Amino acid sequence: MNFFKELYHYRELLKTNVKKDIRGKYKGSFLGILWSFINPLLQVLVYALVFPYIMKVETENYLIFLICGIIPWTWFITSISQGTTSITNNANLIKKVYFPREILPISVVTSGLVNFLISCIIILIFVLLGGLTISWHLIFLPLIIIVQYIFTLALIFVLSAFNVYVKDVEYIVAFIINMLFYATPILYTTEMFSGPILWLFRLNPLAHLINAYRDVFYVHHIPNLINLSILLGVSILLVVICYIIFKKLEKRFAEEV
Amino acid sequence: MLKDNIAIKITDVTKTFKLYSDKPNTLKERLVRGYKNKTDYRLILNDINLEIKKGETVALIGVNGSGKSTLLKLMTKIIYPNKGKVETNGKLTSLLELGAGFHPDFTGRENIYFNASIFGLTKKEIDKRVDAIIEFSELGDLIDSPVRTYSSGQYMRLAFSVAINVDAEILLIDEILAVGDQHFQEKCFNKLEELASSEMTIVIVSHSLESLKKLCKRAIWIHEGKIAMDGDCSKVVEEYLKVCG
Repeated sequence: MNFFKELYHYRELLKTNVKKDIRGKYKGSFLGILWSFINPLLQVLVYALVFPYIMKVETENYLIFLICGIIPWTWFITSISQGTTSITNNANLIKKVYFPREILPISVVTSGLVNFLISCIIILIFVLLGGLTISWHLIFLPLIIIVQYIFTLALIFVLSAFNVYVKDVEYIVAFIINMLFYATPILYTTEMFSGPILWLFRLNPLAHLINAYRDVFYVHHIPNLINLSILLGVSILLVVICYIIFKKLEKRFAEEV
Repeated sequence: MLKDNIAIKITDVTKTFKLYSDKPNTLKERLVRGYKNKTDYRLILNDINLEIKKGETVALIGVNGSGKSTLLKLMTKIIYPNKGKVETNGKLTSLLELGAGFHPDFTGRENIYFNASIFGLTKKEIDKRVDAIIEFSELGDLIDSPVRTYSSGQYMRLAFSVAINVDAEILLIDEILAVGDQHFQEKCFNKLEELASSEMTIVIVSHSLESLKKLCKRAIWIHEGKIAMDGDCSKVVEEYLKVCG
């Protein structure tokens, strides 16, 4: 409970940090904050142009299919990569001022969340332009978002703390994320596969999340609620464990960073 | 629990820092050297016992590397002792660095919010102080320009103004008395004197002994990780100068 009390006390720090993350990143560039939305769209454009050429894509509305995958994925990877270095990059602050250290990873996921929520509007615009409708299935969206938020936060609690002690973590993470991108049904559907490889998707939390996003935006299905509930339970357990590890390692941040 | 009139209590505190010949920070270095890499520890603070009462203004003096700043960092919970206990009573603010969290692309006004929020202030509390802070900094219209356009003196003035206007019950200050031009330095000093005579508990690390003599009644001289002398400020300073001057 102490956690929430401290967090509440330092809510203004969390808020200004999120603001700094969102607005500070592209400040000075001509398009400014718009870049955080243009970037994933450009990435979508690359895949949408390239993939139908190199492999046969039978998915209907492939562009929208891609957008529903890439935008949540962008939230995930930017949070993971920024989150992993969130302590080391703020070495100056850590060494000089006391504040609850968990603010740093939390504000990374939260600013990612704000970006993602705005991006959801972009998804909806594309859905409408693509001739699809917006359906009531969107009521499941908050649940999916909550699961992803908690799951990501758990990972970066532990990664950011490890990265203080062993600097290689950020490079290893970059590699794993790269692999994970292809192990997650973002460019393709899971239906294309059969056999033991399906276990890869079953064990990959991101696969469940991306599929759930697609269910509500694109397929208009009720997402697999049993899977999501299990994932929610696992994420909550994970975030508690990772937070405890973070708190243990936190004590020597100022000396090691 | 601390007694009501005690602001800071330090019991049997020992702090060591790891010393590496070359800090093995990458995985390869850890694997290659493994446990062969023998780490040496350097004793920074050795069994310190200290009590600071509420409302006191205390100076910490000593030569470079004697452990003054480490003691201050222990009080703020930036680092933790290897042994012993550090207890504080009341809202604590530490000014170990000016302008923590400043972002060069944002305006002075926005940075006031960033900086003050690091000290744990809420939006409402900052709103109340923002005018006083701007007035104290004497930056005028510049306050709405990005901080990167400031001169280093103006930057420090803004930072100091935020720091000094953050109400705290315990204020820890590390060598930041010399800020800006002559006029502003005097203004800062007067503000500190005002705070020192108030209810606030202040601990200052500094090498400007003359200012300390004016500000503090009590001084603690730390030498090689131990308290060499603790008592009346001018007497301690005198003794310190005899040995280390």
